[in-house]
Amino acid sequence: MRRLIPSLLALLALTPAISAAEAVRFVSCPVYRDTDAGRKSGCWLAEERETGRRFDITPSATKPDWSMGVLVEGRIAEKQDNACGAPLLEPVRVSVLPEMACTRAMIPAEGFPGRRFVLPPRNIRPLYAPDPAPPPPYTAKLFPIPFDFGRDFAVYQQSDWMLVNAATYAKAAGGTVRIIGYAETQPFTLSGQTLAEPADLARRRAEKARLWLVGLGVPADKVSLEWRENPAPLADPAFDGLTETSRRRVDIRVEP
Amino acid sequence: MRGSSVGAFLSLLMLGALSLPAAGQGAVWWSPGDGTPFPAQLDDVDGDGTTRLLLEGGPMQTKGHPFFEPKGDDGRACVTCHQPSDGMSLSAETARRRWAETDGKDPLFAAYDGSNCPDLPQGERASHSLLLDHGLIRIARPWPPVDAAGQRVEPDFTLELVRDPTGCNASKSWGMAAEAPRVSVFRRPRPVANFKYILAMGFAIDPKVGEPLPIDPATGQMVSGNLLSDRRVLSLEAQMQDAAHTHLGLRQGLTAEEQRQILDFELRLFVARQQDRIGGDLDEGGARGGPETLARSEPGRLGSQGMAVFSEFAAWEKIPADADISPEQRAYRESVARGARIFREKMFLITDSAGINSPVGFGNPVRNSCVFCHNMSQMGMDVAPGQVDLGTTNMPFADPQPHLPLFRVTCKGEPHPHYGRVIHTHDPGYALTTGLCADVGKITLQTLRGLTGRAPYFANGSARDLRAVIDYYERRYNIGYTEQEKRDLVNLMGAL
Repeated sequence: MRRLIPSLLALLALTPAISAAEAVRFVSCPVYRDTDAGRKSGCWLAEERETGRRFDITPSATKPDWSMGVLVEGRIAEKQDNACGAPLLEPVRVSVLPEMACTRAMIPAEGFPGRRFVLPPRNIRPLYAPDPAPPPPYTAKLFPIPFDFGRDFAVYQQSDWMLVNAATYAKAAGGTVRIIGYAETQPFTLSGQTLAEPADLARRRAEKARLWLVGLGVPADKVSLEWRENPAPLADPAFDGLTETSRRRVDIRVEP
Repeated sequence: MRGSSVGAFLSLLMLGALSLPAAGQGAVWWSPGDGTPFPAQLDDVDGDGTTRLLLEGGPMQTKGHPFFEPKGDDGRACVTCHQPSDGMSLSAETARRRWAETDGKDPLFAAYDGSNCPDLPQGERASHSLLLDHGLIRIARPWPPVDAAGQRVEPDFTLELVRDPTGCNASKSWGMAAEAPRVSVFRRPRPVANFKYILAMGFAIDPKVGEPLPIDPATGQMVSGNLLSDRRVLSLEAQMQDAAHTHLGLRQGLTAEEQRQILDFELRLFVARQQDRIGGDLDEGGARGGPETLARSEPGRLGSQGMAVFSEFAAWEKIPADADISPEQRAYRESVARGARIFREKMFLITDSAGINSPVGFGNPVRNSCVFCHNMSQMGMDVAPGQVDLGTTNMPFADPQPHLPLFRVTCKGEPHPHYGRVIHTHDPGYALTTGLCADVGKITLQTLRGLTGRAPYFANGSARDLRAVIDYYERRYNIGYTEQEKRDLVNLMGAL
């Protein structure tokens, strides 16, 4: 820790102004820092090109691919630990952009420790030790499910956990389940890149959510599907305060 | 005694336990229809130790049993390719021995899958070189793929033949342009034992594909998704029928009663190494190796949340100084224990491996150890369905294998996340089931128990022995194992 303090001070001195809780949103190429504090302990960094600030984006549930661009959406963390040699974003969401080719970049640990892997709170319980079913009373309940930009993949230890929760509640509550898939088709420009999701992604996300619910035991004939474009942002704990990311979601509404 | 049929042992047989002879005397070939009862405990002794098979619930008559009785016209049975002396698989060495003993007349060498291609001259050794030299069985997959319900799958890639040393993919009768188009790939028989673990579901989801576990269309129930190299079937019942048609030549398939009997046998059977020539019994000195632990333990447990993978040998990490064992025995046991630690704790960067680095968001690269994938306690399989591309069949990571066909895959839609639009592969693997270019080269993880009797390793037999498995991983991921670490890992795998 003693050796980290000088490096943290140096980092703050060299980094253009950062302020805690500031929201950042940019597109960039990721850099992998090869720290080793055990499994999954490597650091992921990305530079906001407009300002020259490099951030630690490691806490994202989706990690980058070193040969592809990333859309980074996060907030500068209140509590900085300098484990990776850059200001920490937390919460942070990373979306991999396969069509944006990046030169692979791996840098050494340079004395930074990385972080030991800790099982995140959003993890699915094993079948041999499941969570108990939610108790009654059962009321209408909304389960918003976040998705990465451009994808219908249920993010590991994030969206998958929320989908299991929705299915568990729906099975316990009975009634009907209304699924509405959304896509952000309105183009937006970040870091000089214009991004927009394809319209059919809203349908694919809705269908993916239905696959999860039915696969986990919700009666198929109780599930209805809809899909739409460009929803209003939704303030919900599922998005960890990163409201802009909520434009890419599925709403699962359980109506007992 | 090498090459004797089991019948020769009938007079020696005690139904409770049976020891097969040591190497130099010879492993026993179980011929279909032999009629030898299967004992509750069967010890297969080789030059380095003993592999033990346990039949939970007691011995079983094999006379009339559909796993052991010849089916179809050519006298084959399930046991032909799933030999008790080979850990319920089939080693290349055993195939060669059988060829020599029968002058190539054993049903094992049936034209339809025991030769490089049915239209080759069947009396010639060269026509069976893949089985004899590499332990490979021909697997003819429909092209385009067909799903579990028999519906055609429209692939998102094209498949062209680059090289066809067996001639079977270009064959007018058996190849990709035949009336019933088939892609011939060549794979090792997977062991028929320890199914309690292979079928176990630890979680309801498959994080690799971001979906719930697959549903067996026959039952509507979730299944583990860990059967067969390319997951072309989802249940043991479906696997039996698939094998009955493709490996036994049965036109009618198996009856419900035959399936029940086979299932009963397979679900009761456990195999593991029991004893090492130098190290002694693998369940001594506080260790819990051997098949009894497998039979007693709960399956489908994640090692990182319960009993650490292969911690059965943890007691050998600190053997008391006054333990009554020889220096050689101590050295072996300590090596096995170190191997288990290395297996769990030696970190390396895993790169460009579909199923690990994509599409699930672990990152590319991601730092982890062998147990990232081999994560099931006791067994070392993947608790989640284990379709992963290690590169064993895909260029540029695959070792040169001039004896195998080479295909050019061209992705029609999105390029493969790690190989780009064009992939060269000896075996598209899981992609022959899903029709997805992102799945090219993915192979279902194997069980890691009872390994010693069933070389060569990997689905395409590209690792001639356990050391070659370690050497492949070293090349593929630049792990940096020391020579001692490699020896420890080989000793661990030999003790499983």
